[in-house]
Amino acid sequence: MAEKVRCVNPTGISKVIETFPLATRLDTVKGKNICMSICGEPDITIALEKKLKSDYTNVNWNVKKTYGLFPLPLTDEEFKTTDAVIQGVLW
Amino acid sequence: MWEQLPYIAKLEKAGIPTVLIDFEDQFNMVKQTALRSGIPSVRYVHASRTLPGPEDVDTWMDKIIDALTVPLTEKEKESGTWVPASNDRIIFEGTMDEAEEFFHQTEYIPHPVNAPIAKFTDGLPVRIPTEERVAEMLKGTSHKPDELITFQSERRRWDGKKYAKGNPVLMHPMNWTTTVERVAACAVMAGCKPEYLPAVLAIAESGCYIASTHTFGQWLCVSGPYAKEIGMSSGCGMLGPGNVANSTIGRTYEIMARNLGGAIPGVNRMTSLGSPFEGSRCCAENADGLPPGWKGLNEESDYKKDESIIMVVPHVNDGIRGVQFSPGGYRAFQKSGHGGIARKLGVKGKPGPHNWLEYLIPEFWAGREGAKTIIMNPEMARHLYDYGFKSKEEVYEWLWKKSYLPLKDYRNFSWPDLATNGWLGIEPTSGKHWKELPEDYMVPVAEDPYAFCIVVGGGDEEVSHQISSHRHLGMDPFYSIDAWR
Repeated sequence: MAEKVRCVNPTGISKVIETFPLATRLDTVKGKNICMSICGEPDITIALEKKLKSDYTNVNWNVKKTYGLFPLPLTDEEFKTTDAVIQGVLW
Repeated sequence: MWEQLPYIAKLEKAGIPTVLIDFEDQFNMVKQTALRSGIPSVRYVHASRTLPGPEDVDTWMDKIIDALTVPLTEKEKESGTWVPASNDRIIFEGTMDEAEEFFHQTEYIPHPVNAPIAKFTDGLPVRIPTEERVAEMLKGTSHKPDELITFQSERRRWDGKKYAKGNPVLMHPMNWTTTVERVAACAVMAGCKPEYLPAVLAIAESGCYIASTHTFGQWLCVSGPYAKEIGMSSGCGMLGPGNVANSTIGRTYEIMARNLGGAIPGVNRMTSLGSPFEGSRCCAENADGLPPGWKGLNEESDYKKDESIIMVVPHVNDGIRGVQFSPGGYRAFQKSGHGGIARKLGVKGKPGPHNWLEYLIPEFWAGREGAKTIIMNPEMARHLYDYGFKSKEEVYEWLWKKSYLPLKDYRNFSWPDLATNGWLGIEPTSGKHWKELPEDYMVPVAEDPYAFCIVVGGGDEEVSHQISSHRHLGMDPFYSIDAWR
């Protein structure tokens, strides 16, 4: 019978993760403060911004743009008043 | 979206509904990162890579609004705990033949790969990490097997945050932690000898960063007396095959990225073409080949000359680019002022030393901004010294001054200047917004003089390579080997 070997685990140690429910959705976007957060190149976001603003004129749009990898975060004040965020990534 | 999902998670947890727009082929990466961020059910809309922008937006505009307004499903309302399958110290028990089969398993990765990918290896056969072999490997360090890999000094990670000495290293991309013994297991798999382990542990301390979307590579360079101690090559073909230490230490990067970091092509590692330099090669700096007064990489990075370090050399987008002249053409230029280089630089008929970097300058920034790391053989370094550069710093200053371009040309780069947030931020030399500057305003294309880096090594043929610099990529690339002895 062939000799048995025991092999050391070469993989990383993953931690236990607490998972959370998503936030309750809006009843409507009408009259709401919605942030459009854009990272990276504007390959679709120019068209998206134009379309959102023309189709949803009753939304208060707040557009935050960066070429960087990290989204420009909501300010403390915006955090209190923002109803939803659309995060465009495209990286 | 490694950087965006944690932000989205913060918003969702605070009661702000979100929707993420990304490409369909990044589905697995989104799901993995969302889980890691605690919101596995993140709402996600696929954009097209190819449809014209307005047409693309038309196809999913309604989905965006639905994602923000359609009530949550029962699953989306769930909270809970995700428990990993197994973190056991022993991953396999059986015969050696069975172990060979186990460690050489593959898994089929659908689009965008559409091919099997190795589950535990870099695709090549590995040595099986039996307990006995790993125990032998561990003789290469004084660190205990169950010790977590932690930062041995304060570090700035790729996320831009500073981490204090002693903080556990989170391996990229899954942010897993690891131990000395698990790193040793990877070193066994790569074919390393025990004396290579301190270098491998130093590489592990780097977190083995991999890239997401563009061609990105990492090669490794050892500086300091350790290179000679373990028989590394800093000579001819130092980045090529043949030297056991160079090859196996280099190989550990990829095996650790796969196993310790969970990096999988087409799942969470989207380098479209990939690169043979994605964590596969290690070399040594030729300290004896440095001209008088030129510091080695160890001294340049605030270590002492007798201290050993490893540089994790990242490069991006422009890959690794060779010189645009033949060694013979270079010699004709330096020895007698003949040939195209001499004509271009206006030194026809005049023997050198000449500043050969002048010839390459237009190419450095032909496609992308940013400082460069330049690898050159000792003779070419000596020519720069004889020409008048009595230190690396003098070369760096010269390169930086040469990097100035008019704004009208600088605007033509495809890649945005991340250091200043592209055209949305402040141009650093003027303190003004980009949009306020005239078209003829001169902009330094490189970040600053000390973003450049010179590595001296290789054989006698007169060649150099240039790659993007670590500073351009926001990396902190120097890790102590001595700390892991």
